Amino acid sequence: MSNPAAPNKPSSGRVRVFLRRYARQRRARALEQRVAELQAQLAAARAHQTAGFSQRLDTLLAISSALLITHEVDAILQLVVHQALALFPGASNALLFLNDAAGQALELRAVSEGSLGQLRISAGQAVSGRAFLSPRAMLLVGPELEIALDELDAEQQAEYMRLIAPWPPLSALVAPLRIEGRRLGSLAIYAGTDAHLFLPRDLPFVQALADLAAVAIAETHERERAALLQSELQQTETRHAETQARLDATQAQLLQSAKLAAVGELSASVAHEINNPLYAARNSLFLLEQDLPSGTPQREFLDIAQAELARIAGIITRMRDFYRPSRAELEPTHINDVLRSTIELVQTYLRHEHVTVQANLSSYLPLIEAHPDQMRQVFLNLMLNACDAMPGGGTLSVTTRFVSSKDGHAGMIETRVIDTGHGIATEHLAHLFEPFYTTKPQGTGLGLAISAHIINQHGGCIAVDSAVGAGTTFTIVLPAQPPA
Amino acid sequence: MRPSHILIVDNDPAAAMVTQHGLQRLFVSDAEVEIAASPLQAWARCQDTPVDLVVVDPSTENSPANALVKDLHAFYPEIPVVVLTAYDTPRLRSQMRSLGVRHYLAKPVELQDLGISARVALSEHLASAGNV
Repeated sequence: MSNPAAPNKPSSGRVRVFLRRYARQRRARALEQRVAELQAQLAAARAHQTAGFSQRLDTLLAISSALLITHEVDAILQLVVHQALALFPGASNALLFLNDAAGQALELRAVSEGSLGQLRISAGQAVSGRAFLSPRAMLLVGPELEIALDELDAEQQAEYMRLIAPWPPLSALVAPLRIEGRRLGSLAIYAGTDAHLFLPRDLPFVQALADLAAVAIAETHERERAALLQSELQQTETRHAETQARLDATQAQLLQSAKLAAVGELSASVAHEINNPLYAARNSLFLLEQDLPSGTPQREFLDIAQAELARIAGIITRMRDFYRPSRAELEPTHINDVLRSTIELVQTYLRHEHVTVQANLSSYLPLIEAHPDQMRQVFLNLMLNACDAMPGGGTLSVTTRFVSSKDGHAGMIETRVIDTGHGIATEHLAHLFEPFYTTKPQGTGLGLAISAHIINQHGGCIAVDSAVGAGTTFTIVLPAQPPA
Repeated sequence: MRPSHILIVDNDPAAAMVTQHGLQRLFVSDAEVEIAASPLQAWARCQDTPVDLVVVDPSTENSPANALVKDLHAFYPEIPVVVLTAYDTPRLRSQMRSLGVRHYLAKPVELQDLGISARVALSEHLASAGNV
């Protein structure tokens, strides 16, 4: 064998080529396999992503429909934090802060894990405070999150450490709860083990969740406010109805006593007219009796006639006194007290009619002998008349003053009731105090007649001064009680 | 001693006549009882002849008879006045009191009671006239 290796030479060269080709083929096959694997992975990842995306949409839809039927703030908050974990599986906790009533601080109102303790932070402080001031959702990772968490004081941090495990969290998704520019609070979702659990594409989801929560809370607030307004409205209506009922009762009472007094007025005037003929008849019989010799049979009938006339006299006296306060009903009365209580009674009514009351009552008034209820009736009547005369509102002035007497009498108390209303035409003035004379469609024509009657019964007098467009002044003068 | 001169002022003629007859009957010849046709005539009588007593019904507040009481109070305060009214009200009573009227009677009073008041008024008048 001259060169035993000779045949090997070409053969080894072929092998090398073959091996090279084989290695290339293997590499290519491996690469192809890798490509296929990667393609499969990509497809799987895409499928997963799509599935995650639609799952999140489903979750959001479920939240929004649940929020629609939840009208209690705490229930809404609980729902939101629990669904936050459903949206972001693997998150360690979700914290929801709301602005407190005073608007001074944020208060922790709901957590998805662990029990809710006392935790308050200020706006702009730490993670949730920043989120509160932020216009949109943020993703905090690494140093940014550390810096934010460093702003917690020791007590706050202890509470955070209790709620968020493991500590420190590596990333956080936060979003403000805002509605129409109004800040309500913030939502923060923390991730513990994986800093890359949250991605920027998660931001729209957390913002959507926060927005849903904000809408639901605002709606609940509006609902509560509406209920409050409704109850306030009801209270006002009730009060108004009560006042109206009181006024109606008083007016009914006034009308009742007006009717009574009308009967009294009528009977008093009848009594006065009868007195003259009765006097003449009765005493004519007396004169006749003087001329009749005793023992005449006619005497019997004369006696009957006299007795019957005496009976008529008795009836007439009772009729005349029908509406006159008996001596026992009169009591020492302070006219200012009566006026004040009357003003108090009509105050609400006057305010409703835009009438302002000005009372200018003299503090140096003696007492008068009067029937306080009847006096009140007179003043009430005058004040309500004044109010009727001012349909567009105006001023009602009530004044009292003492008028001393020249000739040693006790003096007089003068009361004026003045309105700025449309005034009284001259043709009506003369008849103002006549019974059944009225210019009002609903009037009885008795108010002023009775007022004048009452004042007369108290030994006083009433006068009116008025001109069309210049308002009306009623002046009542009552005798002061002589010093005992 | 001359009979007392009593003047009656009443716008109701029947009442006036009964008052006149009644008083005349009660006083007999002690008095001369006369009816004045009107308050104005009564006023004229008071100026002409001595009048010892006026019995008047002042009726309402603004009547001429009411004015007569005021004028008597102002110009003849020595003439006593007996008010005999069919229009008795507390207001009239207090007005009459303030005009110095001490004898106030409401119709339908009995003549005997009127007689007593008239007698008292006359005697007061005579007493005061005697003192002068």
